[in-house]
Amino acid sequence: MAIAQIVEISSIIVFFIGFYGLITSRNIIKSIASITIMEMAVIVFFLGLGFLDGMNPPIGAAVENAADPLPQALVLTAIIIGVTVTAVNLTMLISLTRQIKSTDWDNVKNTSSE
Amino acid sequence: MIPVFLLLWIGSAVLLVREKRAVRLIIILGVYSLISAVCFFLLAAPDIAMAEVVVSAFSTILFIVCFEKYYSNVAPDRKPRRKARAGSRLIPLAFTVILAAAVILLIPEQAPPTYLKDLYMSRFSGEIGGENAVTAIYLGYRMYDTLFEALMLLVSIVAVVHLSHHDDEAVSVETPSGVSDSNIVGVTIRVLCPVLLLLSVYLVANGHISPGGGFHGGVVAAAFFVCRYMIYGITDMRINNVLVMEKIVYLVIVVFSVYFIILGAHSYLPIPKGIFLTVMNLLLGIKVACGFFIVFYRFIAFERR
Repeated sequence: MAIAQIVEISSIIVFFIGFYGLITSRNIIKSIASITIMEMAVIVFFLGLGFLDGMNPPIGAAVENAADPLPQALVLTAIIIGVTVTAVNLTMLISLTRQIKSTDWDNVKNTSSE
Repeated sequence: MIPVFLLLWIGSAVLLVREKRAVRLIIILGVYSLISAVCFFLLAAPDIAMAEVVVSAFSTILFIVCFEKYYSNVAPDRKPRRKARAGSRLIPLAFTVILAAAVILLIPEQAPPTYLKDLYMSRFSGEIGGENAVTAIYLGYRMYDTLFEALMLLVSIVAVVHLSHHDDEAVSVETPSGVSDSNIVGVTIRVLCPVLLLLSVYLVANGHISPGGGFHGGVVAAAFFVCRYMIYGITDMRINNVLVMEKIVYLVIVVFSVYFIILGAHSYLPIPKGIFLTVMNLLLGIKVACGFFIVFYRFIAFERR
């Protein structure tokens, strides 16, 4: 099996591990961590597209057998966006815990129905 | 080498999803991010690996601050958990496995086309300048992406500031955080501070010829300000000036990049091409540093209300 396929399949597996954590966890902190897992999996999938064993980083004008620089430039911005998404999520969590005094999704449901 | 780290990566993700306690969850998340960074490096992407390392350190700090608040707010006597039914774990698991299998079967057989890669790799050095193809793409060929990414950063910082409203006066008279009480930590941070600043200047100044750039340098500079906060407190920093400065820098980025890339001044003005990349990296670094420091400040201010 080619290395690109191994990378793609394992990144899809990790993406769905994060998905499972997102739909089953009761703890809100774990849900936020699951979103981070899914982001990393997408990034690895992008980097694995078209990757061949023994490729060099795309640095230097005359580098031979370089990896594709386009997905790298695209996911570089996605990483910075990812951490700000985490920050917004955590801020919302802090405001929420001030009101419901808990980090359990069940209590969120109870509060909103009242 | 790559399959070994991919296995470790999958294992840490499974550990993370199965973990119940919040403290261990945060630590495993840090380990997971570190293994991801190693995977990025092995996949010939040192730029991404470096960004992931600096960013994951920052997000771990945010998680820890949030965790501190979680335990200061949640009452210790929690009600006993409901007993889980047998199907409540099995149905989501089966659903996830079916979805994953369907997506794995949908992966196309042939490799993606390399037309753009060949084009960029053969021409970036002459058209945009520098040695780093990734920097040349995100500051040259794909400038729009970077502009909108910076806009996203601005918007999410506005969201953080909006969601964490608090009284500015109450914060500005606070004493420094308790970290400086510890002698070891205080001395270590004092030694680390100049090194961090030097690293961030190095990353920004060499972003166009080696791995690094404005984003990485900006996050490291924000870490410098975080360390400075830990030593001296926030009494001497005016956060509103930082907020205004970030917006002004974003405006300068937009004007500068429109003038150079979209109007084509880059090709006929007699300045060296590396200068343009360095100035853009510097502006992006200032913007990212301001943004991340505001996020950290809001978290801390939120904490000490």
